[in-house]
Amino acid sequence: MTLMANALAVERASLRYGTFQALIDVTFSVGEGQLVTLLGPSGCGKTTLLKAIAGFMPLDSGRIEISGRDMQGVPPEKRDTAMCFQSYALFPHLSVAENIAFGLRQRRIKSSDIASRVAAVAQQVGLSPQLEKLPGQLSGGQQQRVALARAMAVHPGVMLFDEPLSNLDLKLRDHVRIEIRALQREHGFTAVYVTHDQQEALAMSDLVIVMRNGMIEQMGPPEQIYRHPVNRFVADFVGTANIMPVDVLASDQKSGRYEVTCPFGKAIIHSATPPVGSRIYACWRPEDAMLTSEITEEENRFTFDISARTFLGSLCNLALSPRNGAAEAFFRIQTHGFTPVREGQTVDVVIPPDAIRFLEEVVA
Amino acid sequence: MHGITSSRTVWYRRLSIGLALAVFFFALALPFALAVLWSLVDPAHPWAYPAVLPPVLSLRRWLEVWTTSALPQALYNSYMLAACVSIATLLLASSAAYALGRMEFVGKSIIHLLTLVPLIIPNFISAIFFSALLIELDVYSRFLGVLIGHTVSLLPYAIRLMTVSFAMVRQDLIDAARDLGASPLTVFRTAYLPVIKPGLLAALIIVFILSIEEFAISYIVGAPDFITVPTILYSYLGYNFIRPNAAAVSLILVVPNVVLMLIAERLLRSADPAIVTGKG
Repeated sequence: MTLMANALAVERASLRYGTFQALIDVTFSVGEGQLVTLLGPSGCGKTTLLKAIAGFMPLDSGRIEISGRDMQGVPPEKRDTAMCFQSYALFPHLSVAENIAFGLRQRRIKSSDIASRVAAVAQQVGLSPQLEKLPGQLSGGQQQRVALARAMAVHPGVMLFDEPLSNLDLKLRDHVRIEIRALQREHGFTAVYVTHDQQEALAMSDLVIVMRNGMIEQMGPPEQIYRHPVNRFVADFVGTANIMPVDVLASDQKSGRYEVTCPFGKAIIHSATPPVGSRIYACWRPEDAMLTSEITEEENRFTFDISARTFLGSLCNLALSPRNGAAEAFFRIQTHGFTPVREGQTVDVVIPPDAIRFLEEVVA
Repeated sequence: MHGITSSRTVWYRRLSIGLALAVFFFALALPFALAVLWSLVDPAHPWAYPAVLPPVLSLRRWLEVWTTSALPQALYNSYMLAACVSIATLLLASSAAYALGRMEFVGKSIIHLLTLVPLIIPNFISAIFFSALLIELDVYSRFLGVLIGHTVSLLPYAIRLMTVSFAMVRQDLIDAARDLGASPLTVFRTAYLPVIKPGLLAALIIVFILSIEEFAISYIVGAPDFITVPTILYSYLGYNFIRPNAAAVSLILVVPNVVLMLIAERLLRSADPAIVTGKG
């Protein structure tokens, strides 16, 4: 592992508050110019990890390196990081321009250079007309941009985002998300982005780190996290998944073909890796299933009753219960466009063997 | 139903306005007017029954008080002392207020309560034992003695006011300033000062006023070498009671304090969290 190429490296970081273990042996690294999201439910340790990187929380063990420099004992004001706070944390008595200039002033930069850099950053985030206003006079979206501009202005080694969009309404959130990603690509800054919103994580990141109970559950590019979740927690947390217990009847590890029983009958699974653990689960995504009107496949063809149908315009969600299986089990599938089926009707569904994946057991 | 409620509200409002006016009249306007009148009574023409107003008005009492008593020295002492007391009190109170307003520790609520203890012990009682303690400690400076006494007895006010101010400071602003590389001094100026300034100034003024008006400690620890305005006032009230002179001295004591109190009131009102912290 070459640590020099990484803008940020975290090695076996552990931290506890009293008896609560907030981080356990967390290890990952972020390459120069990458955007990494820390994704997980509240209390998973993602914000603690961000604060540890910023220097607000000392680690109990492990190390953090920023641009190859060990950060042990380095206070926040001496670290080459800049954070976008969830609350924006704008100085209410300073104008927008003074807020953006704040970090630059601390770095003892010539005031003429500060003025030109503030003007340039304000231009990039579209705040030029607001420079003389106070933060209290701006809308939520504009305040969020000031926070972003203030952090960007200092050209930090690592930008840290603490759920920056959670105080914005849904429409604005999409807009600012795209903007942040565009700015990040354009300027090539390295960023660590904390969120509990899986869509945000999938849409923005080069690398997604899914956390739970202070530990990393899975780390990988968004497509991999979504397509190949390693366990039930990740499968369930990222996107919608049909998770079901399976029993392996026959296996051929060489070709990766497994025959299993699942709640709606016998199914074939294609998997490069064999299932592990005593209790085996498998999952598939709602959009992977196909109604048989679209295809004439015979393998993995099952009959379901439609118990609910939700038409969403471009998509249609169906809740299915197996024809001859456990009554309480139900599965979700998603089809494109208008699907001419009704609740109570019976449909045949094909689930491709490649779309079903084995999951590791989750350590509680 | 609606009519009854609204007429009752109007009635309550009238009553409370009336009460406020009555309190203002009997507690403030009347004593002040009488003090002004009494201080203007001419020595040669006493104000006695049945005259409704003093027969002759003059400023001779004011001149007499100013030239024959130690009032100029007492004024200097009082204001000098009050300035030193307020600075000492604020310096000591800020560290306590910081701890109580911004830190979490075991026994915090008990310590918060303990800081208020000086309020419930009458100054006369603490002064009697305090003067003995000073002799024991070989502190013979009367000024220093009164300074310490006032500071201790006024600390609770300053701690209370400033604890509230410190608690209003936003942690995210402190973090943001540090994260952007600010030195401790800049963090204080940016994150703390705008929020605590009104409370700080209000505490300063309130301690200043209370020190000027304090009598028990000033008298027991300071007299007869160190005289303050209340000590002089006491000398006019006791053995040789001269009402017009006492009226003049009490006005000299009270009028600046009323002005200061109004300023403190304005400052405390401007400590509205919405303005200071930018939260709606």
